[in-house]
Amino acid sequence: MATVQEKLITPIAGGASEGPRNKVTVVGVGQVGMACAISILLRELPDELALVDVVEDRLKGEMMDLQHGSLFLKTPKIVADTDYTVTAGSRIVIVTAGVRQQEGESRLNLVQRNVNIFKHIIPQIVKHSPNCILVVVSNPVDIMTYVTWKLSGLPKHRVIGSGCNLDSARFRYLMAEKLSVHPTSFHGWILGEHGDSSVPVWSGANVAGVNLQTLNPDIGTDQDKEGWKETHKMVVDSAYEVIKLKGYTNWAIGMSVADLTESLTKNLSRIHPVSTMVKGMYGINEDVYLSLPCVLNNSGVSSVINMTLNAEEVAKLKKSADTLWGIQKDLKDL
Amino acid sequence: MATVKDKLIQEVNPGAPTVARSKVTIVGVGQVGMACAISILQANIADDVTLIDVMEDKLKGEVMDLQHGSLFLKTTITAAKDYSDTANSKLCIITAGVRQKEGESRLNLVQRNVEVFKHIIPNLAKYSPDAILLVVSNPVDILTYVAWKLSGFPSHRVLGSGTNLDSARFRFLIGEKLKINSTSVHGYIIGEHGDSSVPVWSGTNVAGVSLQSLNPNLDTGKDPEEWKNIHKQVVESAYEVIKLKGYTSWAIGLSVSSLAQSILKNLRIVHPVSYLIKGMHGIKEDVFLSLPCVLGSSGVCGVLKQPLKESETTRLKKSSETLWAVQKELKL
Repeated sequence: MATVQEKLITPIAGGASEGPRNKVTVVGVGQVGMACAISILLRELPDELALVDVVEDRLKGEMMDLQHGSLFLKTPKIVADTDYTVTAGSRIVIVTAGVRQQEGESRLNLVQRNVNIFKHIIPQIVKHSPNCILVVVSNPVDIMTYVTWKLSGLPKHRVIGSGCNLDSARFRYLMAEKLSVHPTSFHGWILGEHGDSSVPVWSGANVAGVNLQTLNPDIGTDQDKEGWKETHKMVVDSAYEVIKLKGYTNWAIGMSVADLTESLTKNLSRIHPVSTMVKGMYGINEDVYLSLPCVLNNSGVSSVINMTLNAEEVAKLKKSADTLWGIQKDLKDL
Repeated sequence: MATVKDKLIQEVNPGAPTVARSKVTIVGVGQVGMACAISILQANIADDVTLIDVMEDKLKGEVMDLQHGSLFLKTTITAAKDYSDTANSKLCIITAGVRQKEGESRLNLVQRNVEVFKHIIPNLAKYSPDAILLVVSNPVDILTYVAWKLSGFPSHRVLGSGTNLDSARFRFLIGEKLKINSTSVHGYIIGEHGDSSVPVWSGTNVAGVSLQSLNPNLDTGKDPEEWKNIHKQVVESAYEVIKLKGYTSWAIGLSVSSLAQSILKNLRIVHPVSYLIKGMHGIKEDVFLSLPCVLGSSGVCGVLKQPLKESETTRLKKSSETLWAVQKELKL
C-alpha cells in the first residue's frame, strides 16, 4: 500500500541529490563550539552542519536541540557523530575541542593537554575533508594552530587561528564606547599573540580616517594623561574577567568565528586579524603563528597586509615568536 | 586640555535623550534566556536588549560576553541593575525560574516558580506598563495565567510560548519523514504545552494537501506508517534532550525569537501560543492554552477559529480542568 509520501509527491530528479557545497564542521560541542554553531546557523552560512565530539550523549542532545529549531533556520541538514566520517566533504572545519582555561590559568599552561587531543582529531579531519580550511579556536590558539598545521600536512594558507580577531573586536567595542560611536566605525587592530602579549597598533587607530595618535601623540603610552593604554589592558583582562563572572566565555568568540566563516565561505576577501604563519616577516625566523591582518576568501588566507609597525611593536612580535617557539620545540610527536 | 574625543568629534545635539523603540527585556540569563538573547540579537529585530537576573556575577559576565561581540551586532545590550533599567520595553520575555529536572513533569514546578514570579511580574509591569509579556518558564500555561493575574494587564498583552516549539518540532519531524523542508509542512499542535498537547491532524498539510486525506488512519493505532508516533516523539523531545545534554536551549531560543519578530515588527503571523482560551471551544475557566494566534505589535491581535474534532475539543477541556485544578490552589 502506498505511503503518504508516495501518494503526496511525484519524484522528478532521480538519484541522490548533490553533496553539500558549503558544509561546516564544528569539532567540540562545549560552550564555545555550540556558540560558533548557533552563530553560523543564524547567519545562514552552511547548507550542512556537522558536529563532532567524544561525549556521545551531549553530542546527540545538542544536535537534536538544533534540529528542533530547523523551522527557523536555513540549514537543511544538521548531523552529529563521534565518528569523523560525518564530517566528510566539509569546506570549513572549526576546531574548538580541548580543555578550557581554568580561572587564573594562562593560555600557555594548557598546551600539552591539548596537543594530545589534537593528535587524534586533526588527521581524521583531513582524511575526510582533504580540501577544507581549518579554523583553530582552542587555546593557546597560536600554538594550537601551529600544531594543527603540522599534524594536518595542509598548506599554511588553509590553516588559520582565530587569533586576535576577538581581541580586536573587544578593542573596537571598548574604544568605540569611549568615543560614543558604533564599534564598526572605530578602526583599530590588535595583532601578534592572542592573549596577554597581544600588540595594540595605536598608530593605526582611527575614526573616519582621523588618526587618534595625531590628536594625542601620547596615546597608548604611560605618559598619556587620558590613559588610553588601559583599554588594551581591559582587552587582555576580558577573558579572565568573563570567566570569573560566568565560568567561561562563548558568545563573543562564537560571533567572531562566524564572522571569519562568512568571509571564507562567501569568498569576501575581507581583512581580519587572524593567526597565520609569519616566518619570514618582521625578522621572524621560526615556524610560528601570530595574528596579522589577513585577506580571507574561499582559498583561505589569500594574502597578508604589510602593516606598518614601529620598532617597539616589531620587538613585541619577535618576543612572542621566541616565547612560542620555546614551547613548540619541546612538543612531542608532531 | 581637550580630550581625543573632543578633538575628534564636534557634538551636534549633546544630551539629546535617546529612547529605544523596540526594546526587549529578557528576565533570566540561564541557558534558555541566553539562547533567546543570542537568537534575537542575531535576527536584528530589537534596538535594545536588556537582561536581568538575580545572580549578579552571572548577569554581568553574560552581558560582557555579548557586548564583546558588539562589532558583529546591531543592538545595544544592557545588564539591568534593577527593574528601573527595564523601563519602556515593548516586549518582556520571562525565562526565569527553576528548570525541569530529569523526569520531572512541568506541573511539578509550579509553586516554586509562582514565588519567583511574584517578584518579577509586578516590577516589569510597573516600569513597562504598555509592554507585552511573553512567558517561557514552565509550566508555561499556568505561569502565563500567573503573569496575567500578577501584572493586571489586559489578556491580549500576556502570552506564553506554549506549543510554538512543539509545533516546530512536529513540523521538523514530519518534514524529515516526507523529505521536505519543515517550512513547507503545515501543522499545529495546540492546547497544553507538554504531555497533553493536541496534534491537529485534520489540518496538517503540504501545499494544501491534507495528509489525513491520503491516510485516514493517520491519527489512530491502526496506521502501518505510525504517524501518531510523531506526536509522541514531540512530547518526549524535551525529556530526551534534557537527558542527553542536561537542558534544552537552542530550539526554544529560536522559537521565541520568531515570536519576538512577529510582535516587534507587527507582522501578524499566525503562531500557536498560549493565550486566554476562556470562551472558546466550550471552555469556561480562566486558563491559558495554545491556539493559533495572530501576533502583532499589540500582542495577540486575533485567534483562529480552528475547526476541531470532538476528540480534540474534549482533550482541550480536560487540560483546562487539570490546569484550573492547579491554578485555584495557587497563592497569588
